[in-house]
Amino acid sequence: MKDPTATMPTALPAAEDLLELRRHELHKTQLTMIDGSLSQHQRSTEAGLSARVRAGGYWGFAAAPEGADRATVVDQARRNARALARFGVQPAPTLPGASHQGQHRFSGRPPLPSSSAVQRLQALNAFCRQRYPGLRSTRLMLAEEQHSKWLSTERGGDSLASIQRGTLVVVFVAEAEDGSPVQLGQHQSVKGGMADLELDPEALAPMLDELHGHVMAKRHAVPARGGHHTVVLAPELAGMLAHEAMGHPCEGDIVLGGAITANLLGQTVASELVSMVDVAHTWRGQEVLMPVYVDDEGTPAQDAVLIDRGRLAGFMHSRETAERLGQAPTGSARAYGPTDDPQVRMRNTVILPGSSALADMVASVDDGYLLMKSTNGQADSTTEFMFGITLGYEICNGKVGRAIRDTTVSGSALAVLKAVDAVSDDMHWDASGYCGKKQPMVVSMGGPALRTRLHVGGE
Amino acid sequence: MNHTPLAPALQDVAEQALAALVAQGCDAAQASARRSRLTELAIIRNAPALLRSTETHALALSGIWGGRKASTELPAVDSLTPAALAEAAAALRDQAASAPQDEAHAVSHGQQASVVRGPVEPDLDQLAEAVGQLLAFRAAHAPTVTVEEGGAEHHHRSACTLTTGGSHLASAVGWYGLVFFGSAREGAHTSSFDFAGGECDSLAGNLPMPQRFGIGLAMQALARSVHTRTLAAHFAGQGAAAAGDVVLMPHAVAGLLAWLRGQLSDVALLDGSSLYRQAVGQAVASPLLTLDSRFEAPGLVPFTADGFAAPPLRLLDAGRLTALTPTLYASRKLGLPHVPVAADGWQLAAGTTPLATLLAGVPRGALVGRLSMGRPAPNGDFSGVIKNSFVLDGGAVGPALSETMVTGNVAQLLRDVVAVSAERLDTGGFAMPWLRVAGLHFS
Repeated sequence: MKDPTATMPTALPAAEDLLELRRHELHKTQLTMIDGSLSQHQRSTEAGLSARVRAGGYWGFAAAPEGADRATVVDQARRNARALARFGVQPAPTLPGASHQGQHRFSGRPPLPSSSAVQRLQALNAFCRQRYPGLRSTRLMLAEEQHSKWLSTERGGDSLASIQRGTLVVVFVAEAEDGSPVQLGQHQSVKGGMADLELDPEALAPMLDELHGHVMAKRHAVPARGGHHTVVLAPELAGMLAHEAMGHPCEGDIVLGGAITANLLGQTVASELVSMVDVAHTWRGQEVLMPVYVDDEGTPAQDAVLIDRGRLAGFMHSRETAERLGQAPTGSARAYGPTDDPQVRMRNTVILPGSSALADMVASVDDGYLLMKSTNGQADSTTEFMFGITLGYEICNGKVGRAIRDTTVSGSALAVLKAVDAVSDDMHWDASGYCGKKQPMVVSMGGPALRTRLHVGGE
Repeated sequence: MNHTPLAPALQDVAEQALAALVAQGCDAAQASARRSRLTELAIIRNAPALLRSTETHALALSGIWGGRKASTELPAVDSLTPAALAEAAAALRDQAASAPQDEAHAVSHGQQASVVRGPVEPDLDQLAEAVGQLLAFRAAHAPTVTVEEGGAEHHHRSACTLTTGGSHLASAVGWYGLVFFGSAREGAHTSSFDFAGGECDSLAGNLPMPQRFGIGLAMQALARSVHTRTLAAHFAGQGAAAAGDVVLMPHAVAGLLAWLRGQLSDVALLDGSSLYRQAVGQAVASPLLTLDSRFEAPGLVPFTADGFAAPPLRLLDAGRLTALTPTLYASRKLGLPHVPVAADGWQLAAGTTPLATLLAGVPRGALVGRLSMGRPAPNGDFSGVIKNSFVLDGGAVGPALSETMVTGNVAQLLRDVVAVSAERLDTGGFAMPWLRVAGLHFS
């Protein structure tokens, strides 16, 4: 990694009311193996210098490739901001927030050489073929992603922030009784790189056996019954619920855009069993998967308590959304790539664990569903959210029954969270996906099992 | 920074990179150098707020040594010295050495094509005029709508791809884009989000910006979507429709066709999860559906990532599947014909039924703007929340819908299309009609 001082400014002009300069590197490695064939074996690097200026109430942003002259980039950003003066005078209140100085890196295991990564995928593939001969296909995806951002601001911010994650995805494809394909995947994610992932087949065997058992059950899956049902969301799904249902509606820019949460601060929006936090970097003394100590505006990152025992407690903010709503910045302005400007984004969004046992939560359901794995989700300004379900089972008289076919669940976040009547005492974290909101973003999410009522898609 | 339309510097870099790979003893290689520039005048919450200009450079390299392949992408073009290229080529060789041998790996041969199109430089006055028009339309015709994100953009992308097989693909393409994303609000009531937008070669001309890509219609529809009801509530007392017809609007149609195209592509073909592996030549959709490429639409280049020119393709011919679309690698791996397709650009042929007639023919159902859902399963099963959607009652468009899900199977849905509108929405990247589909389940 290059010395940041080689390209960072020693002093920034103060003609504008806000000026940021960011040098950003994004390294990715992706390997995809389908039945032993390595169909993707790719490394990539994005890097560049960007400047953002606020002048006369308008923002100007410019980004240029690695090696660009910083004065040229700053000047372009300045000219961009000033070019918007053609639209008239804008109010330009002083934006709140402190400035962070410091460096934050994660020190994991030494990087995994390409040869080792391929060998481990080959070993994992061979293990699966030998152990699960009935599968039509095994797809393995191993990836790592490393972000490093050097930020300097005219307010005195001076920081290096780095985020790394490694992910392993195992997808089994089987054949249903009618010959149609049935697919199910399992994601594993860690802070760090591929070397920090558990890739030993024997160590992964319990997870693989469980995944295989589920995909075999899906071969005989039945359609879900459409309508509102009592559901137990396994811990793997609670994070998705947190992210989609109330995470997005609590982003300051979404609130300003007219989200229904705008008028609900202090009001009951969930069962008193539900507390929800967008964690900045540390939870219960442990650094979280996507630690953000400083955001891309230079603001020191703070936890944003979104729901406190059922009451809407706060929002996530950039400096600008905080000023507009008269609240404090939370350090939630994040940019994904070197050419991206910061936007209000989640970091590590979790529903806090409760005191129930998952087994008891299932045992007390007469007629409903246990939902265990999800795909993508979407949020809405109305707080109506949805996410896809790739693994679920019927619950009949407290017993887990037949698997159900892939479906989608939805609901009003307020109604669903208010209907929560049990929260388990365990916790699952995940950082394998991307959040999409103009730019992608690496985030983590987590939570315990929840029992509530949801609209399940079906016949 | 100014660049000539087909920047020779990109070809120089690609040639040097290819030479560096050959010097490392590769059997076959591909080098692609590109520059991309963006100028975006962004609206945030109903006001011009940000002018953003970015430039990115990239050099993508792929090399094959004894059937072992690796790829890398570097974030530079102009600053790459011969020593840096030699270092990158050596690193790629080392990376490839760890890969298993696979004789399916290859590079393209003999592809020669170039494309020069669209404006090279942004016209800031045109971008400002476009943003002004969008905001004026909102204020006059949809004042309850908030443009959460939107605006006007200019893009220019130049690229040169060379292979050791003698392929040479060059492009320099500029285009404009318009974007709208927002919702409407009245008091404590809020509509769902909706979006519209598209790409074009020019913002000049007499067609007002709100009339492009359905943006104005989307804003006005949002303004009518603040107060909603469920389908069951609307038809309460009339025997709520558990199954009925839907009319899919163009964005929903594009989403479902994306599933079909995924089924015809590498991953689904390689892992055996495609429903269509043996279906070429068979009727897989309603005879009303004909799907053609439009790889030369604004913002698109008719080249593939693996170095092929992509000629026009009719993928569905009156419902009959004409081809699978594997890359060169997957075609060699599976022994399938290689059918190059560009990254995007598709159009579904217009039908003969006027949209008004198509809607009037639905006694009870829904006009569906968008399906918010998990990815359809490999077998086509899907269920999704219908968004930006309206009741169809007695052939008339009624109130906006919420909390209504529709369930079906995409493969079956494609067969169950019973009418195609004569009108289409053209966003540049796609042109799609409205489709009437029978027999979907509501819940």
